[in-house]
Amino acid sequence: MSQDILIKANRVGFTYKSRVGFFKYFKHQALSGVSFELKRGDKLAILGRNGSGKSTLMQILAGIIPPTHGSLEVSAGVKRSLLTLGLGFRKDLTGRDNALLSAMLQGYSRSEALSHMDEIKEFSMLKDFFERPIFTYSSGMRSRLGFATALYTGIDVLLLDEALAVGDATFKKRAREAMNEKLGGNQSLIFVSHSASEVSKFCDTALWLEKGFICASGSVRDVAAQYKVAPAKPMAAPGVGKGMPKA
Amino acid sequence: MNVKQFVSLVHVQARMGLKAEASKLILSYFWWILEPLLYVVIFYLVFAYFLERGGPNYLFFLMCGKIPLLWFTKSVSKGSNSLIQNKGLIGLMDAPKTLFPYISVQEGVYRQWAVFWVLLCLAIAYDSYPDSLWWLLLPLVVSEYLFIIACTLLGAWLVSYARDVSKLIGMFMVFMLFASGVFWDINDIPDPWLREALLNYNPMAFYLDSFRAILMRDEVYDMFHLAWLSGLLVVVIAALHVLYHYDSRNIALRVVIR
Repeated sequence: MSQDILIKANRVGFTYKSRVGFFKYFKHQALSGVSFELKRGDKLAILGRNGSGKSTLMQILAGIIPPTHGSLEVSAGVKRSLLTLGLGFRKDLTGRDNALLSAMLQGYSRSEALSHMDEIKEFSMLKDFFERPIFTYSSGMRSRLGFATALYTGIDVLLLDEALAVGDATFKKRAREAMNEKLGGNQSLIFVSHSASEVSKFCDTALWLEKGFICASGSVRDVAAQYKVAPAKPMAAPGVGKGMPKA
Repeated sequence: MNVKQFVSLVHVQARMGLKAEASKLILSYFWWILEPLLYVVIFYLVFAYFLERGGPNYLFFLMCGKIPLLWFTKSVSKGSNSLIQNKGLIGLMDAPKTLFPYISVQEGVYRQWAVFWVLLCLAIAYDSYPDSLWWLLLPLVVSEYLFIIACTLLGAWLVSYARDVSKLIGMFMVFMLFASGVFWDINDIPDPWLREALLNYNPMAFYLDSFRAILMRDEVYDMFHLAWLSGLLVVVIAALHVLYHYDSRNIALRVVIR
């Protein structure tokens, strides 16, 4: 795999298998035949409505779960972080403790993680709530803490799953500015959203997922235009997205 | 994540977990000592008063058994569910899955050291004064720690396959309570074959009898057996680490998805 390519998905598919009885299982194909490449510095949007397989694809891309079909190639040493709403925090711990643990889980030493705490507190705009348990937070506050924590941990690929869906206008503006500043460098981004206008602000290319299949792919402007007007229809057969830039 | 980062993360998260737990309780950290003492008092009431069993120093005899056993049962029961309880975090990042059982075990260690101090103070109250023999408590505690790690790692991995296993673990803990000689002396078993079998094949029975050997009988326990047992536990723990490493993403799949 070329050094510039950080992540390469080859006909990635995923089938959920849930137990519904003693020996009875329910199977559901969440993803099928998804192929694309992400190079260093790429900003890729994944658009899709509820149940389109976006979050499953993100978990596979983050290396959390393995695909049941196809393969995922990731360059050695690439640090990936999945930022999603509210999950992963220990509700009985304070914002500061959770931020410290998140940074340490990303591979920071305790002293390195502690040195970022004031920046995270300032950026998240949580003020005194930063020292209070997470169960006292609103969903917007949790999102701000998660976003601020991810922003201050040095990673190669930032995987955002609807992370900016919650939060007031002031924080969203601040988050966009911070992301644009940070994403100007070599950091790559995969941004999942159901909102075409949201992803257009950050991304160059886009994939449109519908019921686990790629409906369209290409420049974010073209895909967003198709996504906005077209009713949801899966492709007849799984395959590689049309017009997707390849190395 | 290297070993130093792993150990540091386990330490920090265990301390935070205990702090959060204590903040919810009125008596806070005092519960660390109060809980095992209350268990011992209940056992003492039932066996010494209601059933009129036990002899002199029976309260201390019970403490030498119940305190190390409670460390084992609470750590393994809680740690076996640690993967399931942390599914939010497991679904968010590809962290080493051994992290979660270890955090749970470490919380138990920090809770236990205070209780062991109470046990040692009580030993002095029962005219068992500190001597060179007491140093032998250290390898005993380390070996029990290894036994807890091995059982917790295995339990958590099995529970990730089928949650039903956590019910079996509960039953196993009841079996350990009755088969390890907490409220009866294992040396009172008339059949020597059965007595030896319990001491050889039930590590908890061996640990509890060894605590009593040092603190109550001023005797040296079977050091060869402890060395053999500890070596075996290190091999088992290493094997479980290999299993967790190769099964990491499948564990995530089982915990997060199913």
